[in-house]
Amino acid sequence: MQRLLVLFFLATAANLAAAQSWPAKPLRLVAPYAAGGPIDISARQLAAKLQDSLGQPVVVENRPGAGGNIGVDLIAKGPADGYSLVMSAIATLAINPSLYPGLPYDPIKDLRHVTLLVQVPNVLIVTNELPAKNVKELITLAKQRPGKLDFGSGSTGSTGHLAGEMFKMMTGTFMVHIPYKGSAPALADMMAGRIHLMFDNLASALPSIKSDKVRALATTTKARSSFLPELPTLDEAGLKGFDMSTWWGVSMAAKTPQPIVERLSAEILKAMDAPDMKERLRNMGSEAPTIRTAEQFTSFVASELKIYTELVRRSGAKAD
Amino acid sequence: MKIKSQQDWWAGLMFVALGLFFIVFALGTPEFINNIVGTKLIGGYQMGSSVRMGPAYFPVVLGGLLTLLGALVLFDSIVEEGSEIAKFHLRPVLFLGLSSLAFAYLLKPLGLMLASVALVFISAYGGHEFKWKEVAIMAVLLVIVSVLVFVKALSLPFPICPAFIEVCPIR
Amino acid sequence: MEGILGNLLIGFIEVFKLQAVTFSGITMTLPFNIIMCLIGCLLGTLIGVLPGIGPVATIAMLLPVTFNLSPIAALIMLAGIYYGAQYGGSTTAILINIPGESSSVVTCLEGYQMARQGRAGPALATAAIASFFAGCVSTLVIALFAPPLAEVALKFGPAEYTSLMVLGLVAATVLASGSLIKAIAMVVLGLLLGLVGTDGNSGVLRFAFGISELADGIGFVTVAMGMFGICEIIANLEQKENREVFTKSVGKLMPSKEDFKRMVAPILRGTVLGSALGILPGGGALLASFASYTLEKKVSKYSHEFGKGAIEGVAGPESANNAGAQTSFIPLLTLGIPSNAVMALMIGAMMIQGIAPGPQVMTERPQLFWGMIASMWLGNLMLVILNLPLIGMWIKLLTVPYRYLYPSILLFMAIGVFSISNQPFDCLLMACFGLFGYVCVKLGCEPAPLILGFILGPLMEENLRRAMLLSRGDPWVFISPSKPISMGFIIASVLLLVIVALPGLRKKRKEVFVEET
Repeated sequence: MQRLLVLFFLATAANLAAAQSWPAKPLRLVAPYAAGGPIDISARQLAAKLQDSLGQPVVVENRPGAGGNIGVDLIAKGPADGYSLVMSAIATLAINPSLYPGLPYDPIKDLRHVTLLVQVPNVLIVTNELPAKNVKELITLAKQRPGKLDFGSGSTGSTGHLAGEMFKMMTGTFMVHIPYKGSAPALADMMAGRIHLMFDNLASALPSIKSDKVRALATTTKARSSFLPELPTLDEAGLKGFDMSTWWGVSMAAKTPQPIVERLSAEILKAMDAPDMKERLRNMGSEAPTIRTAEQFTSFVASELKIYTELVRRSGAKAD
Repeated sequence: MKIKSQQDWWAGLMFVALGLFFIVFALGTPEFINNIVGTKLIGGYQMGSSVRMGPAYFPVVLGGLLTLLGALVLFDSIVEEGSEIAKFHLRPVLFLGLSSLAFAYLLKPLGLMLASVALVFISAYGGHEFKWKEVAIMAVLLVIVSVLVFVKALSLPFPICPAFIEVCPIR
Repeated sequence: MEGILGNLLIGFIEVFKLQAVTFSGITMTLPFNIIMCLIGCLLGTLIGVLPGIGPVATIAMLLPVTFNLSPIAALIMLAGIYYGAQYGGSTTAILINIPGESSSVVTCLEGYQMARQGRAGPALATAAIASFFAGCVSTLVIALFAPPLAEVALKFGPAEYTSLMVLGLVAATVLASGSLIKAIAMVVLGLLLGLVGTDGNSGVLRFAFGISELADGIGFVTVAMGMFGICEIIANLEQKENREVFTKSVGKLMPSKEDFKRMVAPILRGTVLGSALGILPGGGALLASFASYTLEKKVSKYSHEFGKGAIEGVAGPESANNAGAQTSFIPLLTLGIPSNAVMALMIGAMMIQGIAPGPQVMTERPQLFWGMIASMWLGNLMLVILNLPLIGMWIKLLTVPYRYLYPSILLFMAIGVFSISNQPFDCLLMACFGLFGYVCVKLGCEPAPLILGFILGPLMEENLRRAMLLSRGDPWVFISPSKPISMGFIIASVLLLVIVALPGLRKKRKEVFVEET
């Protein structure tokens, strides 16, 4: 018993000492997707900022695979020494747990969520050829032609797909889901009028909306987007409580010492508030997140996990 | 039946085997085999319909095509004269494979420098002549080049030194 | 026309504009944009030459650097990396038979054979000249016709792409010089290998056998490095006596008069083909070099030389490949739709800089749009000026004894493959494909058709399933008169199949008769 106590004491002391001298060596920031996606890009932006403020190199490491699960698992199971970070996202924290049976990590128990970085609304867009000019007309049209309307998405189990399923559920309509590889080809087919509607990430849809290649009907978040201030939300358009967005942030191993998490969270927030970074995040379609502290982010993850578990189950999407 | 073309015979067998492999893994094991074994051996994927093609649809069609083509090649091999199979050289296969594996699995624990040295030595051993001094010089040169080009210039996230060295002198 | 000239002038002025640049405290006035273009081209050539390191990873890693540049300088540099890598990639393909990019697979076929005959110099020069010519023409195409061509791109839906892929696959069998049936079988095997990983439609993991690293499929680079690179080294090492892989005399550096005569028509055809296919965002550019090779092999007077180092087989595909690489900017610049991973990154780079890619770029930011186009042309010029003198150096490299050369090649391949996802598994897979490639060579099965099948497999399945979903299961969607483009491709595929298969069948029938009598 005594020995145990001593061990415990030593461990705590070592922990504290580690936190005080942190960071003493380069940090690694795992981006669980292939280089070049929006999450990877923001990881690199953040790394550049943190490098300056922490005085240690922050190395971005791409570990793609299994919808991001491999990279997140790496950090969840990795050392909790405060030197390993991962870009976690709605996919890996909220959707995949119910999409992939036998997910190797628990998004709540195995991870400490540090800061929410980016939150982008989805927009409901329709092809210009569709007669529906607003959400109400779209619902009427979908009811008149059950099974005749096609909605595209970037992939099965993406937020775009699940937003569509949510829409179907709340309106009691039936539309056919057409999965694509990424939202760009879906957008192209929509411009050509081959598919009728989709729920696309605001950042990727914005250029086509602005140049009138497609028509935006609503945003999927509770609040309107400052990019398209005239555009109503689905909530306003009658689908009460519809609130979906794409988000990502930074997480670490669950046992990371609290002082390090707090310090890192503060540093990331500071980086995000820097004018140039703020501008770049905004250019990705992100409004300044209202969720700022590690605690807020953690409870946000928990509530999103609950929502999407239910949604994935009801939509029947599954990755074996 | 006499095999007239060894090359075609084995190529045909390979195609048939691979074709069947993909079909079986796409569809799962047939019922009667499952009954004999008492459990479902291979799960397989859904075929779907022509409207909503399942994940098994395309592989099964292609697997069938591959099996058919393999059978044609087999048929060819007993009708038509063809070439013998040239000799297999195991030494380069073995050492080249081994050296890339050594590199891959040593890179994280031992760092880029030592992993590169391992690759150079093992792969050089698979060649025709192996001169210690030559290979050592080559290894040193290649280590310098790869650290400069890949880590410094292209900033790949590779460790340079072994993981047990706390502070790497080159960074 | 005058408007275009005026616009191009705006572009050139933008590219050569003098800017005050502060670098480590010293402020200088420099034509900064053109310098960034040069840096991009140099960097692109470097990563193109290194097997396994591609433009996607490099551009992603360089993105943070571009944050501090002006939008135009950033985009000029990134574009330079992209087409610089195309030039560099053909060098590796010709010298050591390793395609670092899907587009240089075809260059390996004839280019490497030329190198083995001591004609590496002319092969490299041909590649550079063909790329340059195609680059010039296609840049002009972008400047003149970008908006109407973008409309053409939109005419291609899932049905059209499926039929295009079918045509591409039929054409792939022409890549092999040996048995036709074996070539078709290799294409099908490639298609099947391409299906490994998560199925995009259902999310089901296929043929992954519990290996999580396979969830995203097998990477092109891994297969290409294994089946071309490792396999080639093994094949070279097995020749005991003749240790030199290349003929001793390196021969001339520049193509002969005869060579020039032979490359003109292929370059012209390749440029047209590449410019046309590059416009299609759904994988058109991928097909360009393959299509050009098939075309040349069928129309050339020297078709018997194909597979043994025919210069047409370098000139055509190289021009097609570069033209396609340039015109794939059209969907990006006019519709905001990326046609490949590099273009997706360019969108990322533009958005960070606060530019929404799309048709409005041309009118709202003419300096940026036309500056980029002018820089493309200048970049191509720089690359050809850079590459022609380099040929001498590359050729010297071939005189290095093979026992020094192959461990270096292997090391660079291993580093490149490892860097894709920073895990050892890809290297293991590369070694496996090396072994498999070696077995295939022994069995008289050529790897090139397999690689094309591998590239097109997932694309074709994806489009086929989407087309069937959209048509609610009507198979006639591919040959209905309401889809003339798709119908055209299917008819062309059938015709091509007949043309390809006829000589073989006739030959076989003759043999059967001989046996009977």
